[in-house]
Amino acid sequence: MSCRLEQIVMDFPGTRALDGVSAEFRFDEVHGLIGENGAGKSTFVNVLGGSLRPTSGQLNLEDRPVTLDSPRAALAHGIAHVSQEGSLVPGLTGAENILLGAEPRRAGGVLRSRELNRRAAELVENWFPSLALPLDRPVGELPMAEQKVIEIVRALRGNIRLLILDEPTATLEAREKRRLWSIIRGLPQRGVGVVLISHFLSEVRDLSDRITVLRDGKHVATLQAKDATEAQLVDLMLRREGALGPAIVAETRSRSVGAPVLRVRDWTVGGVTVPEFTLQAGQIVGLIGLTGAGHFGFARSLYTRQGVSSGRIEVAGRSVEARGVRAMQQSGVALVPDHRMENALSGEGSVLENLSMVHADTAARSGILSRRAEHAEAGRIIRLLNIKTPGDGQLIRNLSGGNKQKVSIGKWLYGAGDRYRVLIFIEPTEGVDIGAKQEIYAHIRRLAAGGAGIVIASSDLIEIAQVCDIALPFAHGRLGTPIPASEFSEARFIAAISGEAA
Amino acid sequence: MTINTGISAPGHAETLRKGKGDWLQRYSTLGVLVLMFLGFALFVDRFLTPLNVSNIFQQIAILTIVGCGLTFGFAAKEIDLSVGYTVGLSGILVPLLLTLDWPLAAAIGAGLIAGLVVGIVNGLLVTKVGIPSLIATLATGSILFGVNFVLTGGRAIYGGLPQSYLDLGQGSILGVPTLAIFMLASALVAWFVMERTVFGRYIYAVGGNRKAAELSGLPITFYRMSALAIVSLFAVVAGALLAARLGSGQPNVGERYLLDGLATVFIGMTMFRPGTATVAGTFCGALFIGVINNGLNLVGLDTYVQNIVKGVIILAAVAIVSRTTKLSLL
Repeated sequence: MSCRLEQIVMDFPGTRALDGVSAEFRFDEVHGLIGENGAGKSTFVNVLGGSLRPTSGQLNLEDRPVTLDSPRAALAHGIAHVSQEGSLVPGLTGAENILLGAEPRRAGGVLRSRELNRRAAELVENWFPSLALPLDRPVGELPMAEQKVIEIVRALRGNIRLLILDEPTATLEAREKRRLWSIIRGLPQRGVGVVLISHFLSEVRDLSDRITVLRDGKHVATLQAKDATEAQLVDLMLRREGALGPAIVAETRSRSVGAPVLRVRDWTVGGVTVPEFTLQAGQIVGLIGLTGAGHFGFARSLYTRQGVSSGRIEVAGRSVEARGVRAMQQSGVALVPDHRMENALSGEGSVLENLSMVHADTAARSGILSRRAEHAEAGRIIRLLNIKTPGDGQLIRNLSGGNKQKVSIGKWLYGAGDRYRVLIFIEPTEGVDIGAKQEIYAHIRRLAAGGAGIVIASSDLIEIAQVCDIALPFAHGRLGTPIPASEFSEARFIAAISGEAA
Repeated sequence: MTINTGISAPGHAETLRKGKGDWLQRYSTLGVLVLMFLGFALFVDRFLTPLNVSNIFQQIAILTIVGCGLTFGFAAKEIDLSVGYTVGLSGILVPLLLTLDWPLAAAIGAGLIAGLVVGIVNGLLVTKVGIPSLIATLATGSILFGVNFVLTGGRAIYGGLPQSYLDLGQGSILGVPTLAIFMLASALVAWFVMERTVFGRYIYAVGGNRKAAELSGLPITFYRMSALAIVSLFAVVAGALLAARLGSGQPNVGERYLLDGLATVFIGMTMFRPGTATVAGTFCGALFIGVINNGLNLVGLDTYVQNIVKGVIILAAVAIVSRTTKLSLL
């Protein structure tokens, strides 16, 4: 009674998302699936749920090979997928959502509403007799937890043997979570196996019978949940080949560190409070943590000021009272964000247009651009960062990931002189090949050597170890003890971000 | 069963391959325009005469001016559906004030101010109230439509218009029609602002990726509002010239400039920089429509059939743009 995936390979243009992953999901267990962002969890369950056809590999259902070429085909084989985003129609009632697409009708397509309500109530009663769900109200008005349950009931309305739950508790409050947990725990006894994706490790450990860990598109381990510790799971999720060697860590950090360029007090953003944070000129500070720990949000908020409920911020000794991106940018703070095609670049724009997005006026007199000055300045940045492009007229979307990222950095150098005293990088080498990675690191060091303060929030611990002078771990919404470069080690990082006392 | 999706090598090879595809894409519409022109020239007797070519330019002059304005809107990813009624507004207001014995400069100044007001109202609705421009300008267009009829009582304004005003739309300087001069001047100004100034660069940045522009510290509200204000300003200039050309102010002549204006921009977006509105593209788009209208006219095709042909061509243009780039206006 199980579903086995064997040697699943999934190629997307330019990347291999899954590299020969095998796993077995039984119909009498909750099976946790964990891994950092980009590890391939979502791709894997999309293959299982019929949303993606794998490049190669096989899927066996009770030892018979099957082909799932659509979610509908997966449902017909008893596999249902409840995605993270939710797929309810907010304006329809719970009952209508539960029977969406399978409504009882009269001849001519007229809905039999009373019958629909009766059947929906019957389904809920059958699966979760102890729950009192208001099935007659539009689901958009219901709390998130009840919406999730309605989605699960809808998934279970067929003859389902395996239910995929992708981050089911991500949007829930603590009390709501507990309700959902008992529902999930009860499913295997009814003959429905659960594949649970969650980035809350304690939740996965408590709910699951077995846990499978993915990393960089590969299967790392499958282990009994009761035997696993959180630190061990984090270690499996993060440890990479060619781990931090002494050579990397011992790299000389001879920059002189100067006066504070950024100072933050009592900074509360989302669920994270940082009592004090100081960045000095010439310093490179790494922010580390597991997904959801709040280090990305903290880094971003230093520039966008979004979601900041309290706190004071000083740039180069001067308090910045005005809120918003422009105030921060004009006081000398720059952000090189993650997801560059959404947040940093215009794909249909040229290299020149993107480079000049912040300081086009540098090559202009009275607002009129000088072609010559523009090409000269763009050429300087292209050479400085070694951006590989046939010319500054090339469209961004035609560049490789590493070169796109260099343009995203170059925006803050084009015509800027040394205006930016604080540069914040979020996942600076996301989707960047190894060669370009090293060039980007070299440039970040050069910026620091030039007197800028640098903040890097990254999920790549090797990156942090290679580039940073100090690492600040975030765990459980709190800032842990800073780790100086001399103490960088994988074990130390992992202990710190899984919240164990260092 | 296995499916092999070859992993394409990134870098230079890809760049070159795409470069070639881009080239074809960039100039295919232009090629069609040239072929169409040659076709009419060969098979329609009166097409390639100095008089007729000058005619084509006069016919597309007002359309081009409206299109140049709309190009600013599209470059910032804002659409203005009220543009036809804005043309109508100044096409009524300016002659109306002239019949009330306002001096020419004052009447035209009032028209410009009216355009600015319309543009700023559109801009505020879009940026401050947060209504998507497609919907906001649909509503303001309806309001303007009503205003235009209230101003005129539904009747045309004519008689008593000074010759100096009529000359703007009907005269010529050294044998060149004034309308053609206004068209070229508008296109040049629009081109210069879009391609050669910091302002134009940032309009493109805001339209290219609003989030990225915002995170770069650009005042995006200012650029979105400016783009919409410029659309209206070009529209009122076009309206004032239109009434001068017709010799009268009529409440409903502006309407056709909405669809034709959008068409010029859409056709223009298939060329030069596919998916992006450019002034050069818009100009060619206007020529495209001008050549079709004029040629089909000379062939003796009915105006209604011309509309059908035009609609089909607009669909083809938009289909090309949407298939090859991510055209999103909402």
